[in-house]
Amino acid sequence: MAVGRSSRSQPNEEASTALGLLLLIVIAFAVFSWTATGFASPYNLYTLTRTAGLNVLLGLAMMVVIATGGLDLSVGATGVASAMFAGYLMQDFRFQMVIAIVAALCFGGALGFCNGFVVVFARVHSFIVTLASMSIIFGAMIVLTKAESVRDLPASFLALGKIRWFGYLSPMLIVSVAIGALIAIMLRWTDLGREILASGASSRAATLSGVRVGSRIITVHALSGMLAAAAGVMLSIRNGAMVPSMAGNLGQEWLLPAFLAPVLGGTLLSGGRAWVLTTVLAALLVTELTSGMLLMAIGEFWVQFALGSVLLLAVLLEKGRSTLMGTGEGI
Amino acid sequence: MRNSRLFSTIAGALFAGIVTSTAVLADPSTRIGIVAPGPHPYFTQWDAAGQQAAKDFNIGVVDYRVPAKWELAAHNALLESMASQNYNAFLIFPGDPVATRPTVADLVGMGAPVISLAGCLQDPSDAAFCFATDNTVAAYDAAKLLIKEMGGKGKIVHFAGFLTDPNTKVRIDAIARAVAETNGAVTVVDNITDLDVPEAAQDKINAFLATQGNNIDGIITTAWIPSVVAATALRKIGDKRIKMIGLDNDDLLMAAIKDGYVSGTVVENAFAQAYVGSFAVDKLRTGCKLRDDAPWKNANRSAKLMDSGTVYVTAANLDTYHDIQKDKAKGLLASFKSAYLKCP
Repeated sequence: MAVGRSSRSQPNEEASTALGLLLLIVIAFAVFSWTATGFASPYNLYTLTRTAGLNVLLGLAMMVVIATGGLDLSVGATGVASAMFAGYLMQDFRFQMVIAIVAALCFGGALGFCNGFVVVFARVHSFIVTLASMSIIFGAMIVLTKAESVRDLPASFLALGKIRWFGYLSPMLIVSVAIGALIAIMLRWTDLGREILASGASSRAATLSGVRVGSRIITVHALSGMLAAAAGVMLSIRNGAMVPSMAGNLGQEWLLPAFLAPVLGGTLLSGGRAWVLTTVLAALLVTELTSGMLLMAIGEFWVQFALGSVLLLAVLLEKGRSTLMGTGEGI
Repeated sequence: MRNSRLFSTIAGALFAGIVTSTAVLADPSTRIGIVAPGPHPYFTQWDAAGQQAAKDFNIGVVDYRVPAKWELAAHNALLESMASQNYNAFLIFPGDPVATRPTVADLVGMGAPVISLAGCLQDPSDAAFCFATDNTVAAYDAAKLLIKEMGGKGKIVHFAGFLTDPNTKVRIDAIARAVAETNGAVTVVDNITDLDVPEAAQDKINAFLATQGNNIDGIITTAWIPSVVAATALRKIGDKRIKMIGLDNDDLLMAAIKDGYVSGTVVENAFAQAYVGSFAVDKLRTGCKLRDDAPWKNANRSAKLMDSGTVYVTAANLDTYHDIQKDKAKGLLASFKSAYLKCP
């Protein structure tokens, strides 16, 4: 069954996008190594790979929803709420670390499931649903936790944040890349993945082909929630505590990196196409640009300005490309 | 051919960058980073105090940095970038008492000593010690001063910061202790919290004074914003009957003291914190150690607190309190040298 927008040209497109991103990563590394003092120092490379691990997960969390033509604005709120949930299980109920983390992933998945359920059964666009759930989830978390951080965590959990490989590599990036590989396998080689992309490409055609589109939309929202939860746990490991404000007010600080990675990576905002490899590379590029600009002491507002401009430019370029090629693939 | 040239150029740039980074990181002089958790008027004295310390103690570089917004992630990112840029000693107000600990552990692991400044990390941490105002003492002293201004009797309202800030509870308890010593002559009508944001402070303080202003005789504030809002409210009402003791030294608060609407304010010694802190962290980096028998206080969630003290400012010393702060800084410096530090 041929579903989605899979075609022989897609692997070539993905490869060329990946090559372009890889080249940009190398060039940016060379430029920042030359111009930003300490950029290539082992410690900066360690913190860069640690942050990249988080950004990869955020990008993937948004990418899977965009693949069906939707959006998830609640990734930050879901991620932090899930991490807080894990924290309370460990602190107040003395759950073992692994069980608490698995519970947090399930909790994130459940929150995402609720998003998807409302999107499908109320027939409301995911933008509105997740905008509302972002406030609901974050507000409920603040009320329940009284905005207090979870700080009494087991030593085994805290020890995870201290692991450093070869002096410059954070295992968080490896974990995120491994998760990305699993998602890539799912999207490319399983019926579930093909049905998700088909649902995004044309829900009507997918329905006529026997795909349960509503079920697939709920699935990607649940998956997005799980990935956001993983990001929340990862950031908590880095902080050694679960802090309600760790993704900013309402979790909004995570939105820009979450959108940047898939959009720069060639994921169509209209759905039907999602490339994991390029999303991962785009997350690396964004992290690298942020780190380099911070080291050059450009000023954080200018960093935000630059990243926002990159996002807008990527969207416009993709729109122009699809118009020129007459593919009909809208943004 | 073109490709090989391109890759040679990139490889060359990478190598040069790494060599440059390594060379800069090997800089032997002390480069101190004084890092606030976000923009706040309290920290404005730190820059000048750091520069003064660099000059007086011949320290290589003392730079004051503040993230654009008061957020843990931005604070951590700033610290990480400074660590990558050959800063080798730090004075840090923690973005979070616990969640800043891993970053501090990273810095100390790289050989950069860290002193927790103006706010303490929760024990256990890798910070050498905490140099801050003892919140219990400051709030207790402020309450005693207010009770004295009120003639030893009357009703007090306490306008405080966030209840989630552990210091708020400490301050409430300290004020209660001072009031209890009056044997009922003074009572606390209410402790109104979560006022360290302008909107909430405006709403709650103005509503309280409008409805219950006639029933109180004294106001004590233990955070920056409620101090400013309460002082402004008293000026608007034109009420000099209610005595008020504020916290810190915002211009509006100082003007209210000058004009007689506020009795006085307890000013934390931000200058001494950055000045003496710079000296201390430089010494720790260059081989000095902390004495085992140093007279640490156990307060502010830390068993290693050095109290940076306060200055009580009234209309009488409004123009000279900066000099008093500097004199106290000299006293703290002498005390640190003699009682806290041992050098080879």
